[in-house]
Amino acid sequence: MLACALAAGLALPFHAVIDLSATVMLFLLTVVVVAVLAGRGPAVLASLCNVALFDFLFVPPRFSFAVSHAQHLATFAVMLAVSLIVGQLTAGLRRQAQDAERRELATRALYDLARTLAGAAAVAQVGAAVAAFLRGQWGGRSGLLLPDADGGLAAPGPAEAALDPADLASAREARDGGRPVVRVVAEGWRCHCLPLSGTLRGVLCVRLPEAVGEAGPLLEAVASLVGTAVERLHFVELAQAARLEAESERLRSSILSALSHDVRTPLTALYGMADALAVGATMLPAPARETAIAIRGQALRVNEMVDKLLDMARLQAGRLALRREWQPVEEVVGASLNLLGAALDGHPLRVEGIAELPLLEFDAVLMERVFCNLFENAAKYSPPGATIRLAGAAAADVVELRVCSGGDGFPPDKLRRVFELFERGSTETAVPGMGVGLAICRSIVEAHGGTIRAFNLPDGGGCVAFTLPRGCPPPIESEAPAAGDDMEGP
Amino acid sequence: MTNAPQILVVEDESQIRRFVRAALEGEGCRVAEAASCRQGLLEAGARRTDLVVLDLALPDGDGVAFVRDFRAWSSAPVLVLSARSTEHDKIGVLDAGADDYLTKPFSVGELLARVRALLRRGRGDADLASACVAFGDVEVDFARRQVSRRGEPVRLTPIEYRLLGVLVANAGKVMTHRQLLREVWGPAASESSHYLRVYVGHLRHKLEDDPTRPRHVLTETGVGYRFQL
Repeated sequence: MLACALAAGLALPFHAVIDLSATVMLFLLTVVVVAVLAGRGPAVLASLCNVALFDFLFVPPRFSFAVSHAQHLATFAVMLAVSLIVGQLTAGLRRQAQDAERRELATRALYDLARTLAGAAAVAQVGAAVAAFLRGQWGGRSGLLLPDADGGLAAPGPAEAALDPADLASAREARDGGRPVVRVVAEGWRCHCLPLSGTLRGVLCVRLPEAVGEAGPLLEAVASLVGTAVERLHFVELAQAARLEAESERLRSSILSALSHDVRTPLTALYGMADALAVGATMLPAPARETAIAIRGQALRVNEMVDKLLDMARLQAGRLALRREWQPVEEVVGASLNLLGAALDGHPLRVEGIAELPLLEFDAVLMERVFCNLFENAAKYSPPGATIRLAGAAAADVVELRVCSGGDGFPPDKLRRVFELFERGSTETAVPGMGVGLAICRSIVEAHGGTIRAFNLPDGGGCVAFTLPRGCPPPIESEAPAAGDDMEGP
Repeated sequence: MTNAPQILVVEDESQIRRFVRAALEGEGCRVAEAASCRQGLLEAGARRTDLVVLDLALPDGDGVAFVRDFRAWSSAPVLVLSARSTEHDKIGVLDAGADDYLTKPFSVGELLARVRALLRRGRGDADLASACVAFGDVEVDFARRQVSRRGEPVRLTPIEYRLLGVLVANAGKVMTHRQLLREVWGPAASESSHYLRVYVGHLRHKLEDDPTRPRHVLTETGVGYRFQL
């Protein structure tokens, strides 16, 4: 209005000099200026005022709204139409420019956010960056929710006060539905909950003032940035945990092997020197010789205990790395018997059904320990001369192996507990042992996916039976019989 | 005693060196000692060495490095002393060229038996792989490709025969799974060790008195096999 008056005031002194058409142009310019500065509404108002002022001040008869000439009506109409159209176009351009500017600002803020998130080293930093972004953009508040151990949702790090239980419910809904949930909450606030992309399935909850207009696309962009950042941090964390575990595993195994070496070195010297005295070239007098033999025997027993304790330490320390290979059970049975050597002397061995078993996939070194311990126990806890029986039987998906011996068997009340560490059948016996052997067996069998149990036979004697899964053995192509290259005897 | 075999003992624990030396000298061997890898290589280079007794865990490097260096210029047998539960290291040192190993603690008798067997090999008893070999009640005539047990002919498949040939040719020596697979099946087969185990099982059933307690084709669990005459 003021602009119109200004234009009219400007043109008035010169109305004698400039003609009417130039005055019209001046008024049109006013409308353009108003549209640029003030937008669509004021431009329309300015158009109407201009026409009225033009009529009143310039068109004869002057200072009256009366029109002397019909042609002036046409002038008014055209002038009004032109100022309205020009005003609208100009105002439209202005709004587009403003929108573009706002979009550019938002994009720049988003870019800054992306840069901050890419450098974030912890989830709490991600949350803080998003909160700062939303505060800057809309004066909003945000809370980042990630799945916790129980499958629920929880804010990582120090919980932000931005969220209340109602928001949490929306967050759960958004996560389960997989799409954004918008809900109007108390006095002029609205809560957007957006599920994050990626495997973690977190949720970003944002509280915006109602006054903020359409925020969906920008929020989705933010959510996808946050999703990527959280996912990246999650995998960084996993990789770090894996590296840490591998390192501690390496440390543990190097400590164990150093210990093994340090303990065994003096034992080797002790055993070897006693053996040299016992069987050496220079014959010792009988009592000294017997002492040497006794020292040798004791050294061997200490060595066996060290072996078992180290086995147990190795089995109990972290995850056991099995070197599983397909192989016949018979071979590892033979190796254990060979290893035990004289320990089984005086106990005849009966083997049934071992050669017929299918190939099984197991760690031969560990399975050798199982058989050694079982045979050793069978010999130790049965009367001299009692037969030790080893039997194998294949069922549908497992193979069962059992080692039985004569004697009293296990105390009936301890059938389960014999597999526990440091548990012995009967606590006070003359039979040496620590109660580690069967615990080792159980650890190894269970690591192979099998089960182990102890029971007594109805006619006396104890049995330990364990199973191993059959799996899918690799095929063995049978060899074509020798044709021309005959290996048969004459 | 210029014909006495010269043996080098590389072991960092002096007490073990002492009784090993005494035992070997009792057998009429001449013994040189070394307490480290480097010293061992110097000693081995300083004189003709017929056999090396090598500790696997030396302070200045592992036995694998020693064997690799030693094998560059000598084919004398190497007997490794090692602790149990180090199968991986054993395989490494055997693949590098060591011949046999002894698990600590070991008796003097075991040590001398292994040393004697290796010295026999080192002297090149060439008839081992050539003509006839007899073990237990089995006779193998490599010239005529015939195997018999208690005078009865034994029928072997070509692979079984080849496997037996490799085992007999390396009698007294530990062959790792990889070495046997390469020799019998060729270089491409080193991954399918179950074949090897199955065929060793066949051989035992055909040649051993009690295949569950073999006396000639012995298992070195987790490492390989040893053929014992």
